[in-house]
Amino acid sequence: MLQRVFAIARNTYRETVRDKILYNLILFALIMILSSIMLGRLTLGNEDRVILDLGLASISIFGMLIAIFIGIGLVYKELEKRTVYALVAKPVHRYELILGKYVGLLFTLLVNLAVMTAGLELALLYTGHIGLGGHLRVLPAVFLIFLSLALTTALALLFSTFSTPALSAVFTFFLWIIGHFGRDLQNFGELTKSAPVGRLCQALYYILPNLANFSLIDNRSIIGSAGYSKSIDFVALAGSTLYSTLYCAAILSLSIAIFMRRDFK
Amino acid sequence: MKGILAGRIRHGWFCCGIFLFCAVLIKPVQDRLEARVGGPGQEPDLLYFSSPAVVKKMALGYDRLLADFYWMRVIQYYGRRDEADKRPVRYKNLSTLLDITTTLDPDLLDAYRAGCLFLSEADPLGAGQPGEALKLLDKGIRAHPQEWRLWYDKGSIDYLFLRDYRAAGEVWREASRLPEAPHWMEPLAAITLSQGGAIEVAKALWEKQYRESNRADVRENARNHLLSIQVARDIWSLETLLDKCRARTGSFPASLEALVGGENARHRIVDPLGTPYQYNAATGAVSLGPDSKIRYLPVPDSYRQSLTTSN
Amino acid sequence: MSVVEIENLTKDFSVGFWKKRPLRALDRLSLEVYQGEIFGFLGPNGAGKSTTIKILMNLLHPTSGNARILGEPVDRIPMHQRIGYLPENPYFYDYLTPAELLTYTGRLFGMRRSELSLKVDGLLESVGLTEARDLQLRKFSKGMVQRIGIAQALINDPEIVFLDEPMSGLDPLGRMDVRRIITSLKAKGVTVFFSSHVLPDVEALCDRIAILNKGKLQEMGALEDLLTVGIEAYEVILSGTRGEALEQIRKLCDEVGSMEDRLRLRVANRERMEALLDFVFAQKLELISVNPIRPSLEEHFQSAVGRRRSGALEHGT
Repeated sequence: MLQRVFAIARNTYRETVRDKILYNLILFALIMILSSIMLGRLTLGNEDRVILDLGLASISIFGMLIAIFIGIGLVYKELEKRTVYALVAKPVHRYELILGKYVGLLFTLLVNLAVMTAGLELALLYTGHIGLGGHLRVLPAVFLIFLSLALTTALALLFSTFSTPALSAVFTFFLWIIGHFGRDLQNFGELTKSAPVGRLCQALYYILPNLANFSLIDNRSIIGSAGYSKSIDFVALAGSTLYSTLYCAAILSLSIAIFMRRDFK
Repeated sequence: MKGILAGRIRHGWFCCGIFLFCAVLIKPVQDRLEARVGGPGQEPDLLYFSSPAVVKKMALGYDRLLADFYWMRVIQYYGRRDEADKRPVRYKNLSTLLDITTTLDPDLLDAYRAGCLFLSEADPLGAGQPGEALKLLDKGIRAHPQEWRLWYDKGSIDYLFLRDYRAAGEVWREASRLPEAPHWMEPLAAITLSQGGAIEVAKALWEKQYRESNRADVRENARNHLLSIQVARDIWSLETLLDKCRARTGSFPASLEALVGGENARHRIVDPLGTPYQYNAATGAVSLGPDSKIRYLPVPDSYRQSLTTSN
Repeated sequence: MSVVEIENLTKDFSVGFWKKRPLRALDRLSLEVYQGEIFGFLGPNGAGKSTTIKILMNLLHPTSGNARILGEPVDRIPMHQRIGYLPENPYFYDYLTPAELLTYTGRLFGMRRSELSLKVDGLLESVGLTEARDLQLRKFSKGMVQRIGIAQALINDPEIVFLDEPMSGLDPLGRMDVRRIITSLKAKGVTVFFSSHVLPDVEALCDRIAILNKGKLQEMGALEDLLTVGIEAYEVILSGTRGEALEQIRKLCDEVGSMEDRLRLRVANRERMEALLDFVFAQKLELISVNPIRPSLEEHFQSAVGRRRSGALEHGT
């Protein structure tokens, strides 16, 4: 089973890593990181912070765009172009197909994140203040971004199994935005005095992806600010990893269920 | 041959199984994670955009809708005491949030009227920034120069929080000239300008708020102020009597009841909500009982003068 | 031994947006394919041929009925290890080269890299794509795509191959190549199931055929038998005959034609043929040959399927 999944993953990686959109997005991300250096100069001494904040935000946003733009086509292209025909007739379970595509895209994301992180680390190296510890601590922050991207990709893949690329992009983007306001949703539910609305909001809070879980590490943990630094909470990091894994597994199993039922006409 | 269909159903159940298993586990994991990290997880006082002009640009025409969200955010930011407790400075971003809200929708009167109170009340009840409150009200007045209520609020802030009675009086006098100003505005201005800080005026201002506000938190705050004023009056009266007693007999009385004397000697001297005052016979100090239900908000000493003059 | 068994296979598609009307693409189709034979699957457009093959390949789920390949239900994935499939109008990842595609396919079959490279080379040679080995598929002509399609269907040395319109889009040389491949497969003992429009190819290659029309099976059986059923006439060739014998012969036959010094005679049925032969032997005339005149598969096909069509024509459709 694994060999097949990895064969499909490798093929997916080959397909997506050559996608032109990728290069444009990475270019933009690197430009953002470069300009953060210049912006940093304006803050007189707070350069590191600006570069870090802007850099991580760029990586997160452009990573999300990559995940969405490529994820929505993952299944859809196979169906449109009918390359799926030859594939399904092989001794490949349909779930292996979905898993393989997912893993392949994760690899692509990883590679892109690595490139963008390298850019960020270089920018930080250029300003020269944060020391080896700081450079190392950037990595868990990027790991958290990767977890949130894994979730986003799973969602894009889910929509890709039954919807057109345009709609999939809209839905996934929408969910990504809502995912950052989970807490506000909960608060809203508590503020309204209506019990059913409150319960609905509470339920939605758990159902919708809670992307705030991946914002645990920011510049305070990486470089610390004047007299106030926060150490990296690895238990919380493990918790976030678990959350991402569970959520992705749930979404993937849905995708598989949908994909299994489909007729390929 | 059960072949094809059976296989499909089996696989379907398996997928459902995995989905349910994960879905059920998500809630406890999320809760544990939150408990450990505490809510939003990151810096709880983070504002992505602190410039109202930028936010307005980003609103892409949905200004009023965004204003609603920001107003909700203000209410949550102010109202959730437990979350405020976690922040190093309780209400650091309150003025910015209010600024953004009113930039997006200058007609949201509530934002000015309630917002100025949130800003002015001292920590831990509010941001303790009456200056910011005035700026907010000025902004509102620029947008709605005929709205006498905003002038009135401005004067109230001057009076109650900044203790600048002269400024308050002058604002109210300006306001009284507005076409829709109520008839009592002018006398209020006059009294303030002539007498300065008077406990009766303060009481009247809080009473007005208590009666008229449609916000529960504002009403409760006004009530607390009124009760505090009453407590202050009680304590000052008692202190005056205590001083007179000592001047007469050379020492403080054994108890407050003895002090008051007469047919009231049988009843305990209690605060407006019924808890007895605490009295130290050695030092003659009177204060609120430790188990008092009143949330005491400081009353300026300058009111005491007006008390003795009216007494 | 049956390698493919289809029992009462029915497939309905829902068409229409609000009120879903079922469109019956297959109606209680039943057929069997035996091991080692070349089975031809014929029918006009829209008859349901592709639908049948797709159900067999687990691309579509049947509404009812059953299908088995090599004794296993068609959704049993391990069974797919032993079969090969060429889709209709195939499309493969166009950013891959033939070598990459075949390697990828091989990996999906669980083949090891070491055995793969040799196999890939061999296959590419047998389909004539060795030169284009490292050319990206997006640059291939239709004929070349068809060939790589056949190659990927054979990479796992399947026991049975399913080819959906394997000749479509090929020039005569290409078609000859495919014919050659199919016959060589039969020689190796591989069962071949293919659907086609190109009747001469079917006639030349197949052992048994099935004719499908509007989702229903019209006819099935060995090519020999089917075509014998409709034997129209016999052609008898005699060496030159004169005089009175000729007159007699004219009475016994339906048509008489002369070719140099030979007589070509045509009789309508077996009885008349036997009567004529009796006469020939009695008269000691020289018999050169006796041949049944079979309808071509094309004519047979038309009669099986075209009846309704002509009905439609009469009504002016």
